[in-house]
Amino acid sequence: MSNAATFDTRTDTAIPVESPLAYSYRRSGAPRGSGYRLKLRERAMQGHLILRGGAIVLDEAVREVLGISLPGKPQALVLDASGERSIQWLSPDEWLVIVPGGEEFPLETQLRERLGDAHFAISDVSGGQTVLELSGEAARELLMKTVIYDVHPSNFPVGKGVTTVFAKATTILRRPSEERWELVVRRSFADYCYRWLLDAGSEYGVNVEQ
Amino acid sequence: MSQSKQQVYRLNTGGRIDRSRTLSFTFNGQRYQGHPGDTLASALLANGVDIVNRSFKYSRPRGIVAAGAEEPNAIVQLGSSEAAQVPNVRATQQALYDGLAASSTNGWPNVQRDLMGLFGKLGGQFMPPGFYYKTFMAPASMWLTYEKYIRKAAGLGRSPMEADPDSYDHFNQHCDVLVVGAGAAGLAAALAAARSGARVIVADEQEEMGGSLLASRETLEGKPADQWVARVLDELASCENVTLLPRTTANGYHDHNFVTLHERRTEHLSDTAPVENGHRQVRARLHRVRAGQVILCTGAHERPLVYAGNDVPGNLLAGAVSTYIRRYGVAPGRKLVLSTSNDYGYRAALDWKESGCEVVAIVDAREAPKGDWVDAARAQGIKIITGSAVIEAKGSNRVTAARVAKIDIEAFKVSGPVQELACDTIASSGGYSPVIHLASHTGARPNWRDDIIGFVPGLVKGVQACGGANGCYALGDVLAEGVEAGIKAAAAMGHAVQTVTLPSAERLQQGPAVALFQVPHEKPTLRGPKQFVDLQNDVTAAGIELATREGFESIEHIKRYTAMGFGTDQGKLGNINGMAIAARCLGRSIPEVGTTVFRPNYTPVTFGAIVGRHCRDLFDPERYTALHQWHVERGAEFEDVGQWKRPWYYPEKVNGKTETMHEAVARECLAVREKVGILDASTLGKIDIQGPDAREFLGRVYTNKWEKLAVGKCRYGLMCKDDGMVTDDGVTSCLAENHFLMTTTTGGAAAILEWLELWHQTEWPELDVYFSSVTDHWATMTITGPEARKLLAEISDIDLDRDSFKFMDWRSGKVAGVPARVFRISFTGELTFEINVQANYAMHVWQTLFKHGEKYGLTPYGTETMHVLRAEKGFIIVGQETDGSVTPEDLGMQWCVGYDKPYSWIGKRALTRSDTKRENRKQLVGLRPKDPKVILEEGAQIVLDPKHAIPMPMVGHVTSSYYSPILDSGFALAVVKGGHQKLGETVYLPMADGQTHEAEIVSTIFYDPKGERQHV
Repeated sequence: MSNAATFDTRTDTAIPVESPLAYSYRRSGAPRGSGYRLKLRERAMQGHLILRGGAIVLDEAVREVLGISLPGKPQALVLDASGERSIQWLSPDEWLVIVPGGEEFPLETQLRERLGDAHFAISDVSGGQTVLELSGEAARELLMKTVIYDVHPSNFPVGKGVTTVFAKATTILRRPSEERWELVVRRSFADYCYRWLLDAGSEYGVNVEQ
Repeated sequence: MSQSKQQVYRLNTGGRIDRSRTLSFTFNGQRYQGHPGDTLASALLANGVDIVNRSFKYSRPRGIVAAGAEEPNAIVQLGSSEAAQVPNVRATQQALYDGLAASSTNGWPNVQRDLMGLFGKLGGQFMPPGFYYKTFMAPASMWLTYEKYIRKAAGLGRSPMEADPDSYDHFNQHCDVLVVGAGAAGLAAALAAARSGARVIVADEQEEMGGSLLASRETLEGKPADQWVARVLDELASCENVTLLPRTTANGYHDHNFVTLHERRTEHLSDTAPVENGHRQVRARLHRVRAGQVILCTGAHERPLVYAGNDVPGNLLAGAVSTYIRRYGVAPGRKLVLSTSNDYGYRAALDWKESGCEVVAIVDAREAPKGDWVDAARAQGIKIITGSAVIEAKGSNRVTAARVAKIDIEAFKVSGPVQELACDTIASSGGYSPVIHLASHTGARPNWRDDIIGFVPGLVKGVQACGGANGCYALGDVLAEGVEAGIKAAAAMGHAVQTVTLPSAERLQQGPAVALFQVPHEKPTLRGPKQFVDLQNDVTAAGIELATREGFESIEHIKRYTAMGFGTDQGKLGNINGMAIAARCLGRSIPEVGTTVFRPNYTPVTFGAIVGRHCRDLFDPERYTALHQWHVERGAEFEDVGQWKRPWYYPEKVNGKTETMHEAVARECLAVREKVGILDASTLGKIDIQGPDAREFLGRVYTNKWEKLAVGKCRYGLMCKDDGMVTDDGVTSCLAENHFLMTTTTGGAAAILEWLELWHQTEWPELDVYFSSVTDHWATMTITGPEARKLLAEISDIDLDRDSFKFMDWRSGKVAGVPARVFRISFTGELTFEINVQANYAMHVWQTLFKHGEKYGLTPYGTETMHVLRAEKGFIIVGQETDGSVTPEDLGMQWCVGYDKPYSWIGKRALTRSDTKRENRKQLVGLRPKDPKVILEEGAQIVLDPKHAIPMPMVGHVTSSYYSPILDSGFALAVVKGGHQKLGETVYLPMADGQTHEAEIVSTIFYDPKGERQHV
């Protein structure tokens, strides 16, 4: 066994939670309405795990436990059939796993069992980041205002994900489907990112789904 | 305002203007009319406005010279309201819109009747080149005074005094091929590249794409050239892979084909951006383009000839005359004299004549000009005076005559009698200078070509120049070069190109041009009337000659001495002439003299576009903890710590009055010492470290030992850089045998993670260990004070007994029903529990603590109180007590250094250097002011003898200083040379106001020296 401490940070009792954008909604509002060309939705409270280790052993474990393979190619994003679970390449020995909220601890436990004595690390970062989902016809233009990475379809097909500059912060940008983009932002930067997106998107009209 | 004036110089037909609509505008308060399609310059010329400005130095009246970016005189201030003021707009580049309000940037009280002119005419002779350097630099202290008046007198517009109502933004663009300029070459290149499927961006600075083809007398496929332009633009617009950016200037060409484009999106519509669908449109946009290949099709600027009086309004570039007639339907005068050194200039005379005005004469510097345009002029019956040039323009507010004479270019002298030709307009052409500015930004030196009498751009990897920018001027050749460049660029990006059929252009016979720059005058240059080289900066041929006589030989020095090509002009019109004159004076060739370096930006860029949306509350990211809203609602004042907003202190209302910071901090401090306080410590960096070699790794990056830290225990660690200087500190806890949680300083979090990765990846890859940041995952709430245990016990299932949960232990359990890790570590010296929960639950736990905490006097405290409390205990803050030059030993922290660790650790070797072992290093001590009411100033210098003559030897400085409520006294931490040996000694702190404070060197621990309180 890896001899690391695991800790389920969630509780099943009815305790109120606040997503990273909770403050932002109160401060900046959540514009709604018709005639918008952009949709923004926080996919909050999901389970986020950082996986570190060798690709081959991790791939075997992940395939067994999650049923999808570890993206071996740089900047690749793999989703399961439901689209609810994903693994993204972050660096040569680092992957981001996102699963429905509450699944992360059982997943970590299963992976640790399966990986046994191999050298790896799993860190739960579920409380530390959130996913902003962007869709709508102006999504690409909004991204051009925001990230320096080339988001043209020829360079950013579905199934790609990169870490890049978001205005003056950073983000993980990914494209899980033809219409949707996802920005994984850190909790402490979430309000800045949200305000930036509302501002940059105002000329197209933004609809925030809560 | 007076009544509207007639457009006296407007032609009845021709041009790309819409005569069916009339636009009204004002210039210097006078109302005028123009048409859609006009620029401000063409409308001013149509209305017969001769004087558009006063010159920079001599305050001479100046008129419009050019029709594009190279215009040196018609620099205007735009804006109908204070907030909308825009300085330094070139009238030649400003589209006319209804209601436009412009004024001259120079000239006081106005350009027609200029008081400065008097000073100019008098002062002019006293303002030779280098005038500022010679006159105003001494005494140096007065420069600020001089500068204010000189700037006001010189002036190039002013900035608005009210906030800009507009918004600007940035766009990150990526393409295979960036084409700069959409004239003949650019359109051909873009077409070829576009048809290959490559991603193409075409940027063009003008209102309409097409460049010179919009006003050309040449045909393509036997039809007017603008028809071909329209066809190509239609095709390009229909291509999904092509982005057309009109009104967009490529202003800077940076490394690796990174080009910044400045797009003016609404400046042709009104002075502030119109509102559309309830949103104010973006006024200007900066495109940050990363291009695979760049094709520069920036064309060429016509060089004026340098003759006496060449700045009098009515002197224009020959090409500009053609452009005004053919594109804008304005003939800017009645009687033209053309002075030229080449065939191209003839077009101005032909256009002038065809517009129904009188061409007095063409004065050609060549003895026997021949070519199709020369023949056409002869056939029109235009008088051609050969071997001659206009040597002087007569007139003051407008040209009244041209003085023409035979000249000997080789001998640089007038070689025949002078005749005076009455006229109101003099057009001149000295040939073309390729626009090499952008290429120069890359650092590539331009190359002189004798055959075209001009510099062509030096090129770096991935860039081509074609057409006029490459010294190629014949239309057929320009198109061919464009297509070839487009094919080459697309191919370099992996796109195969289909054939592009070129439209057939006329093949014109042309005679060779002659190299003429400065025209000789009867009098020597230094004695004769002024011959202007750089009109915007008032640099004359005499000024350049004088500079060379004074010993300036390098063109870069001549430029700085004379101000040639300075500022917004960037040497567009005058630089080559200036170099030629310098070359003549120095007896060298032009390539020997070389060019000056052109710098970004090509034309002025509004600050708004540079800033984009990075302004106001989006200026910089503000990082918030999960508890931020609570702090805001509690009325906290915030302190910036890196990008974090941390509560600084929480002022309360006492008897209707809000506490001062001093009062709030004193209250918060006592609450912690006497009851219980709570701090949001979520911003501390947290790094999750896993792997069988995690413990070994910690031993190598920290100065102290880690091999014996048991699971469930925490330890303070000190980190040095490899130079032995303290760089970070924090508590690291052993979560499991192969699992640690490291905390770092708030500001150091990102850098320390990188530091760990750096050492792991480059020095010790054999260690099996991984690091991940979990800073944002956990929210950290520190409850500290004698009542902390009682409070926590109410809402936690953890056994808090002092013997089972000791100081420097951690335990997990539930706090307020939420899974939590609780650490018994202390930065205040009091009984402390640091509660860590997943951040999404933080608000619930925090509020629950307050629900139960009221009866214990639970008090939120901020970073200021935290600083006071830790300083009372002598705990350092990295970055406050340390500055990158402080070792653990300087801090008296030998207890935190594992000298005998088996494996070396970062900084160990540096700590054995003689310098780090030196006895009189600055060492951390406590300072107790003799007067307890005194709060020493942080940063105050410490001396041993206050009576010593100035400069006194300074032995150290105060690093932290506060008022301690529990001690009711000021106290400080300081570094003092050899301080550890000076306990009990008195030192002095002389202050700027003349006071000298006295203080005693004491231990750094001011409160609870045995550390009993944190162990209870």
